Amino acid sequence: MRLQHIWPIATNTVRESIRNKLLYTLVFFAVIVIAISVVIASLSYVEGQRIIQDVGLAAIRLFSVGIAVFVGIGLIHGEIERRTIYTILSKPISRSEFLVGKFLGLVLTVWMQLVFMAIAFVIVSLASGAPLGAGHAQALLVFGVELVVVVAIATLFSSFTTPMLAALFTLGIYMAGHLSRDLDELGRQADDPKLTMAATWIYRLLPDLEGFDLSIQAVHGLPITNAEVFLPILYGIGYSTVLLIAASTIFRRRDLK
Amino acid sequence: MSDESKVIVEIDRIVKDFRPGFGLRRKRVLHGVSFSVRKGEIYGFVGPNGAGKTTTLKVLMGLIRPTSGSARILDCDVSRSDFRRHVGFLPENPYFYTYLSAREILHFYARLSGVPSSRRARRVDELIHRVGLDHAADARLRTYSKGMLQRVGIAQALVHDPEVVFLDEPMSGVDPIGRKEIRDIILELKGEGKTVLMNTHILSDVEMICDRVAIIVKGKIRYEGPIGDFLVADEMRSDVVLSHLPPEIGERFEEDFGGQVHGVGDRIELHVLEKQVDGLLRIALDAGAEVVSVTPVRMSLEHIFLKAVAQSENGGGA
Repeated sequence: MRLQHIWPIATNTVRESIRNKLLYTLVFFAVIVIAISVVIASLSYVEGQRIIQDVGLAAIRLFSVGIAVFVGIGLIHGEIERRTIYTILSKPISRSEFLVGKFLGLVLTVWMQLVFMAIAFVIVSLASGAPLGAGHAQALLVFGVELVVVVAIATLFSSFTTPMLAALFTLGIYMAGHLSRDLDELGRQADDPKLTMAATWIYRLLPDLEGFDLSIQAVHGLPITNAEVFLPILYGIGYSTVLLIAASTIFRRRDLK
Repeated sequence: MSDESKVIVEIDRIVKDFRPGFGLRRKRVLHGVSFSVRKGEIYGFVGPNGAGKTTTLKVLMGLIRPTSGSARILDCDVSRSDFRRHVGFLPENPYFYTYLSAREILHFYARLSGVPSSRRARRVDELIHRVGLDHAADARLRTYSKGMLQRVGIAQALVHDPEVVFLDEPMSGVDPIGRKEIRDIILELKGEGKTVLMNTHILSDVEMICDRVAIIVKGKIRYEGPIGDFLVADEMRSDVVLSHLPPEIGERFEEDFGGQVHGVGDRIELHVLEKQVDGLLRIALDAGAEVVSVTPVRMSLEHIFLKAVAQSENGGGA
């Protein structure tokens, strides 16, 4: 892996992604929902400030994942479809470097839009007098790592299937990832040990995305431990690395007809 | 081994099967393709659509994995990526990021190819000038014509000053002046000692610039060698138009040369073998006729491909 090969691909992917109209549409709607949270809160007699932040963080999560999935699924397929990949891979760059460059470029793009949405969230919170603390920054940081996992899932599926199927698979894994702890818990309560073992293995294979959600602690001002921040970050980096190795192995073997 | 006879590109019994769709039977598109390109050669890879030319080039560039067989460039197996440091590739109808300008895209490819930043700007300027895009270097590629994109494609293939250049239909979509300019670039590359392998449909380009050719039909190499040896003179014909030819000489021509004679007014047109043209003209001029034109009639590509197939099936091919 050579950075002098990965970086030009990554920066070009950022340049390409920020031209995607879908990205602007989703960011626009996210900002609208964050702003509308003030109106929603005004309809409630109690805990208006918490409602503003609940809705705001939920909007950031929803639209950021939408961007990661719908921009990410065309990542590799688009290059093959438009045939831009032929001239790139005719240079002394390996397929793995190309794939990692595309992944890194999309991660940078989703982080940029996350910062933009976070700024909108901070402005709305300050304007409505809702308290802001380190917990909010920690929640957004950990969510930023969850986005890395989502981009890695989209990259994996984009490396071998069509955008439509990649979107379905990525969203399916994302939702299953948020339910994987419940599945593990259900398995433990089952009487059949085979069922327990199956549930445990599915839990281990699926990403454990619930650990990336610190919104409740942030909004309610509850203490967040170092472990709650660093463990998901380490887990996210490790899980994404495994996904990228799998994507790279598949992509290296693929014929570019 | 002399430098000129050194083999730069070697393809050995490449077989490629594709599965057209899930559950469908595999289709063989390359049937044991073998050929070699020597240092400093311009090598033409000629064949009809669907013959396997582009697939072969993609195997050479590592874009497609062969089912069996091997391919080596500069003694490196093509499954590795390092050899591409010494190879330039122009794909058929190249596509680029259209939101970039020619200058920006060439900088991008120069970075990927490892051209040092100190030399990058000068190299990009040189190439823009070489392919005749000075006037449009900073315009977005989306505004480019097909011919201009082809020039960008050639420039990107040369950006890292490669030893070997693969060109897939380099004249495609280019006007006659552009074709000549591209031919000149290819000849310049040969002059610089580089090796060129090009896929093409255009026979006149092959005749003008290629040292050797391989003719591929339905995934099999049917001929390999100099194109002149393939287009043997005893099969080439010419159209000769004469005026003021005495009628008795015209009748003699029909008997002596066995060609077709057509008369219009005081002009007659003869369709004869190329090797008979000298003798025919000598007799005609001695008889007081005037020569209006002599036009060599080129074999059509279809004819060439059919001949290549027939020749290889009779055991005369490569």
